[in-house]
Amino acid sequence: MNWPDLSMGGYGFYVWGSYIASLIFFVWEVVSLRQRKQKTEPSAVAPGKSSSTGAAIEVDPALPRTVL
Amino acid sequence: MNLYKYASPAMFYPLAGKLIPWFAIPAALLFATGLFVGFFIAPTDFQQGDAYRIIFIHVPAAWMGMFLYVLMAIYAGIGWAFNARLSSMMASSLAITGAMFTAISLITGAFWGKPTWGTWWVWDARMTSTLILLFLYIGFISLQAAIDDARRADRAGAVLALVGVINVPIIYFSVQWWNTLHQGATIRLLQKPTIRGSMLAALLIMLAACWLYSVAVVLIRLRCIILEREQNASRFAEVGV
Repeated sequence: MNWPDLSMGGYGFYVWGSYIASLIFFVWEVVSLRQRKQKTEPSAVAPGKSSSTGAAIEVDPALPRTVL
Repeated sequence: MNLYKYASPAMFYPLAGKLIPWFAIPAALLFATGLFVGFFIAPTDFQQGDAYRIIFIHVPAAWMGMFLYVLMAIYAGIGWAFNARLSSMMASSLAITGAMFTAISLITGAFWGKPTWGTWWVWDARMTSTLILLFLYIGFISLQAAIDDARRADRAGAVLALVGVINVPIIYFSVQWWNTLHQGATIRLLQKPTIRGSMLAALLIMLAACWLYSVAVVLIRLRCIILEREQNASRFAEVGV
């Protein structure tokens, strides 16, 4: 196992910069998806059902009629 | 077992929910493994030094950008040809993740280009065609967002996706067809790869991680799209549209 030098042999800015930029994109996608999910799910769930699982949607009779 | 029933958005919705953890958890584990192999096991390159380690995110992102575009065009085409609404929804869901991977490949490519070529950007065939791929993704997303009627948006998006798919082989073969700063392929299906085993292992693990991540986020987004369209359909029904 090699322990890499954090300065990456003088290329640290480029190597870490590329991974940090990628991480920002991944985090942005996950966070925006989470916000979209929270915005969408509660209003689509039948009254009295939990929105945290897909089970509520599975038994929601409104969904098949309108989406199909 | 009748698999055709899952072509219905309502039937696919709960299945997608059950599938997501099976892709998301292995994706996280493979990202950690790939980065460990890439940074701790793979040796320093004798020509590029440690700058080459950008390859472990740049190449999987570039491959995913192209692969997801082809997949998006196939789903959009099926949705258009057979009026399969789930396919069109899948195409919409794929677009953002594909655009994200294409943007990552361009940005990490710029970070790699500066120390190795001496420039952040050059208008060579591969970089230009990859930039066009990003514009095609943005065009697809914008076109769909600009049209209120989901079915019309799907049809318009399908035309753009299918026309734009010609760009993918151009990206792939650009290094053979034109003189570019990019080197030729080091990994081929039928030939022995020309990079060291540990480097190849890290690359393939990161590719698998990106693929699993894509499936997970695309399924999550697909579930949101199904619900959003259901809400819009209800709203249109209420006002008699």
